[in-house]
Amino acid sequence: MSASRIPAQRGPTVEFEFDGDPVVAHEGETVAAALLAANVAAFGIARNGEPRLPLCNMGTCFDCVVTVDGEPLVRSCLRDVCDGMRVTRNEAS
Amino acid sequence: MVDLVVIGAGPAGMAGALAAAECGLEVVVVDEQAAAGGQIFRRTPESFGGSRATRPYRWAPDLIARFDAHPNIRVLYRSTAFGIMRDREGSAVRLNVGVSAATGGELIPAKRILIATGSYDLPVAFPGWTKPGVMTVGAAQTLLKSQKVLAGRRVILAGSHPLLLIAADQLLQAGAEITEIAFARGLPRASEMGAALSAAPGHFEIFAEAGRAAARVVSRGVKVTTRTIVTAATGGAAVTGARLTQVDPAWHRVGPEREVSGDLLLLGYGFSPATDLARQAGCEMRWNSRLGGWTVVTDERFASTAADIFVAGEPTGVAGAEQSRAEGRIAGLHIAESLGSSASDHPRLLRRAHRALSSSGRFSAVVQAMFEPNREALGHLSDPEGTTVCRCELVDSGSLDTALRANPFISTANAAKLECRSGMGPCQGRYCEGTVATRVAAARGIAVADAGYFTAHVPVKPVPLSTYRMLGSTSD
Repeated sequence: MSASRIPAQRGPTVEFEFDGDPVVAHEGETVAAALLAANVAAFGIARNGEPRLPLCNMGTCFDCVVTVDGEPLVRSCLRDVCDGMRVTRNEAS
Repeated sequence: MVDLVVIGAGPAGMAGALAAAECGLEVVVVDEQAAAGGQIFRRTPESFGGSRATRPYRWAPDLIARFDAHPNIRVLYRSTAFGIMRDREGSAVRLNVGVSAATGGELIPAKRILIATGSYDLPVAFPGWTKPGVMTVGAAQTLLKSQKVLAGRRVILAGSHPLLLIAADQLLQAGAEITEIAFARGLPRASEMGAALSAAPGHFEIFAEAGRAAARVVSRGVKVTTRTIVTAATGGAAVTGARLTQVDPAWHRVGPEREVSGDLLLLGYGFSPATDLARQAGCEMRWNSRLGGWTVVTDERFASTAADIFVAGEPTGVAGAEQSRAEGRIAGLHIAESLGSSASDHPRLLRRAHRALSSSGRFSAVVQAMFEPNREALGHLSDPEGTTVCRCELVDSGSLDTALRANPFISTANAAKLECRSGMGPCQGRYCEGTVATRVAAARGIAVADAGYFTAHVPVKPVPLSTYRMLGSTSD
């Protein structure tokens, strides 16, 4: 899946971290949109090792959950990016 | 204590909150998004210009503006209502709504509650549906309209709802290539077209909008097939294509499978009412497949069977934005009346809302009849060995069937959940309930309705334990 930003007015750039790598995004973007646009291969890893990406983008499926600044099970489609945010992949236990 | 807590700021929630506020009630609205409008009117963030598409619903900009501006309405955005709790003080029962946000949790005591939680894309389990690159059509639409992100480059759309054509049109305009749009059903029959035309007056713009979208898609040379169902998402770690097969009018496979390529597979089989909060609150439920499956029972005031809890919009049956708005307004007016705060022109407002309700009802009845998904056939898409049914707990169809064979007394979806853990993960069964119920029904030779539904508990969505710690401090 190769997602991309389409031409549009966007907020100023912000930079956050996903699994230690820098991700450049725009103020107003959700973590999910920013990670998709960065073509991250997996937001989470299911118990059987399968990668997961968002399914519903509206807060009901929980396939897009990540850890944000230590807070687990954050739905990335409902959380806005901010400068310096540390996001890590969700590893199902 | 506030007069009314509304859960959901879509057409039903906004109309309900506004009607009650205009009668003088103090209203708190809880919504998971960053702005009012619901999924249908999702807008871009302020930093993107805050624009929003409301066509073809001419009433929407005014409703949203009045909702945003009303001094009696306080909205908690990016907040999740995770449960309805009752305090019993003698014979009196006090209702509380548990709310969780990134900043913490709070318990909001309320005299009345209006549940207007909307609906979500009907989940369908088939081989490969957990792969990155499989999304609901609603997900791709909201990414595009509120975040200006195109989710894939080469898109396959599959399902049975006319929304597929509208989404395809939007994706094409954003620069996507569309490999194929596969509809499980056939072309509308003459009798269905007749019914649609008779319901069209008053809804011409909605028909026209859909028609224009379809015409644009066809004029771009996109392949649109009917009686074609998606049986698998293919690829390694991520989607590289989909397998499609011809089906008969009952959606049973009749032809060989063929493969189409694409990096994004979007599913649109219609919508399921979001009823977890209503179930948890103890509202009586009723099965109605045309209305989306399990719906909340209400009276003509949109009061549920649970005291002081009203329900409006899609949870009472999926019927679209117009009907949701009418239901919300009727509920809001009756809620105000039940608290002794009627507007001076109350009867006139109610009559007007009821007229809007019956007009939108004629239209939605046609859409519901024409596009009802074949649930039994969709259930069979999960038959192949190893197909994941529960995405969270990784329960596959084989282990579900094994459990059903080993436990002949299990004849409900809920009992299957307790035995297999299907539905016990973070999504709380929203994405496997339908598949579990159809598999139980098929195994026992009963109707899907008789397999029942998953019960819901607090929290209906996972919340941090720290939220619970803060529940001691209630706001007044």
